[in-house]
Amino acid sequence: MMAAGLIDGWVEALLALVLVTGAFIVSRRDLHSLVFAYTIQSLFLVFIALLLYLAHPSEVLLSIALLTLSSKVLLIPYTIKRIQKQIKISRDVEFHYISPTGSLFVTILLFLFVYYSFSGVIGGLFTADKISYTGAVFGVSLMLMGMLVTFSRKKVITKIIGYLTMENGVLLFGLFLTELPLIIEVLIIIDLIIMVLLVTILAAGMDSTMEEFHNRLHIFRRED
Amino acid sequence: MNFLFYALLIGLAIIAYLAFSTSHRKMQALSMVHALSYLAPAAYLLLYVDLPVYYLGNRYLFIDHLCLYEVLIATTVFFFAAMYSWGYVEGLVRAGELNRRDINVFYLMFNALLIVTVLSFMSNNLALFWIFAELTTVASALLVAILNSKKNIDAALEYILITSTLMLFSFIGLMFLFELSKQASTAGTLNWDELMAIAKSLPPTPLVFSFIFVFIGFASKAGIAPFHTWLPHAHSKAPSAVSAILSGVVLNIGLYGILRAYAIVRQTGAEQTISYFLIAFGVLTVFVAAFTMLHQKNLKKIMAFSSVENMGLMLAGIGIGTHAAVFWVLYHKLAHSLTKALLFFSAGVLHRQYLSNRADRMQYVFRLQPLAALGLIIGAAAISGMPPFPMFISKISILIQALSFSVPLLLALLLLVLMASASLVVFLIRLFSNKDEGRAHMERYDTQPGMEAPIIALIIILFAIGIFFPDGLRSMLDTITTELGFIGAKP
Repeated sequence: MMAAGLIDGWVEALLALVLVTGAFIVSRRDLHSLVFAYTIQSLFLVFIALLLYLAHPSEVLLSIALLTLSSKVLLIPYTIKRIQKQIKISRDVEFHYISPTGSLFVTILLFLFVYYSFSGVIGGLFTADKISYTGAVFGVSLMLMGMLVTFSRKKVITKIIGYLTMENGVLLFGLFLTELPLIIEVLIIIDLIIMVLLVTILAAGMDSTMEEFHNRLHIFRRED
Repeated sequence: MNFLFYALLIGLAIIAYLAFSTSHRKMQALSMVHALSYLAPAAYLLLYVDLPVYYLGNRYLFIDHLCLYEVLIATTVFFFAAMYSWGYVEGLVRAGELNRRDINVFYLMFNALLIVTVLSFMSNNLALFWIFAELTTVASALLVAILNSKKNIDAALEYILITSTLMLFSFIGLMFLFELSKQASTAGTLNWDELMAIAKSLPPTPLVFSFIFVFIGFASKAGIAPFHTWLPHAHSKAPSAVSAILSGVVLNIGLYGILRAYAIVRQTGAEQTISYFLIAFGVLTVFVAAFTMLHQKNLKKIMAFSSVENMGLMLAGIGIGTHAAVFWVLYHKLAHSLTKALLFFSAGVLHRQYLSNRADRMQYVFRLQPLAALGLIIGAAAISGMPPFPMFISKISILIQALSFSVPLLLALLLLVLMASASLVVFLIRLFSNKDEGRAHMERYDTQPGMEAPIIALIIILFAIGIFFPDGLRSMLDTITTELGFIGAKP
């Protein structure tokens, strides 16, 4: 059994790395490195879950680690890569409101905002456990970073990676709350799988035959 | 009688059958049977069983009066939508807008949406409610995406990405709530009835924080501004049978979640803050909808924004939080769902006739589609709050309750609601006065009886509810309001 202090140190280091991958996702343009960053980020989550399991052995944490490994590290990145090949997009250079460099700056502001607002409002919840508080702050920050990607990029595939990053943030947040009923942990993975399935169907629907069909319809009538 | 078991079994059996069925007629008939299969036990429970009834060992599912009320509204709209689908879906296939092989997917998702909707209303556990609410997004987004148009896929993707992204905030909020409940009782809980019991000992400030997170997600499901941006596209691009469900049922799920969460907050010291918060978002929503409706040219879009307006009004009513305000909000919900179904069904007929939702393409509406024209006029009158329709009394009563809160609130709501109604009326006058001689001899689209029957039935029901306010309904709404903890002078 590792000492609690040592585990906390490792967990903090991993949390910092998770945030680095988040920043990477916010600022990168080419889709391959986005997926890679997401995969590594999910792997860090697996490590955090395992470290927390060492500190407080509970089957729920172990099941989360396993589910995260199988879905977020293996299945989802594989699925996204397949969609990428299908739609032949390798770079996402279109942004709605904000450039990646600007996003990085906003990310730092978001983190500071979450840190200070949390310490004011819910700091009392975690007085006994500093690492849980850090985990909650990092989780919500990661979630907001994902949201930034979802709302600032134009390509659906990048938006999906933003959404998945948000889910990682929620999972990170959940990992540090103790005694959660199993329903909460499992539903993240269930929801994630459904999301990816759904989005795969929709993204696959955007192939050329659909476009052609759409244009044919337009010869007869013009919708607004 | 085990309502849950019975309902699930029928629903799942129908879904299993639909996966392999090839007869369109059978699929449509079974969807109607599915909706009816919830109505009968719901009526039985309402009349003969002491509510609430709990299911599963950990009481994750339950049926109380509010749940039953929502299920009754939802299944009624589903029943009519299933009836309407017969001629309508066949028309879509013939026009090449829907592939014949996708008919199965349409009915599969239609019935799956019905099951998860009923289960979401039956969830006592808020996390379970969250899961089912997410699943309603999945099923309904597929129903939006099912047509052969890239715009539908775009609308569906926008719908999923916005609502699912914001629903994650709700999830964080629920986890907070769970942590807070651990402070108030020995074991943490997300069961609504248990949270109501311990609400008084929940710390107010963190509870406000938790509620705001929970609110963001459910507000996006309910189409509350500024989280409503997905709604106009999804509602206008979806097949009309689905638009009716999106407006009449799926939006209610979001509002239901907010109402349940607010019922807990109301027992605590955070009540005042959240009340102002809800009213502010309610007014903002009505404001955004009223101003957007001014310049709409698309029939289904203006109806979508009218849904946004009504959701905003209901949210403000919940925020006002008196017994009477919540009573009329619930009544308004019933009236809104039925009226919106009528409007979207009528709009669907016009879309078949003109193959467009744009008002300037609709000529000689009365001559070509008299029933749909009548449906539109009656629906618009009802949604604008004209007597003798049910929304007349509910709108007036919510506004009177706004007066009890403050005069500026009443004036703001009154002005905005009038503006929205005027926009709708002007829109319809323009639509009905379109006369392009070149189209005078346009061939009439032959509507099937399946498409006409729900329009006629809904017109009759709206008149009936508006003229006779049954005592049973009144006492049911009274009970729900009291069960939610909104105690005060009765309307």
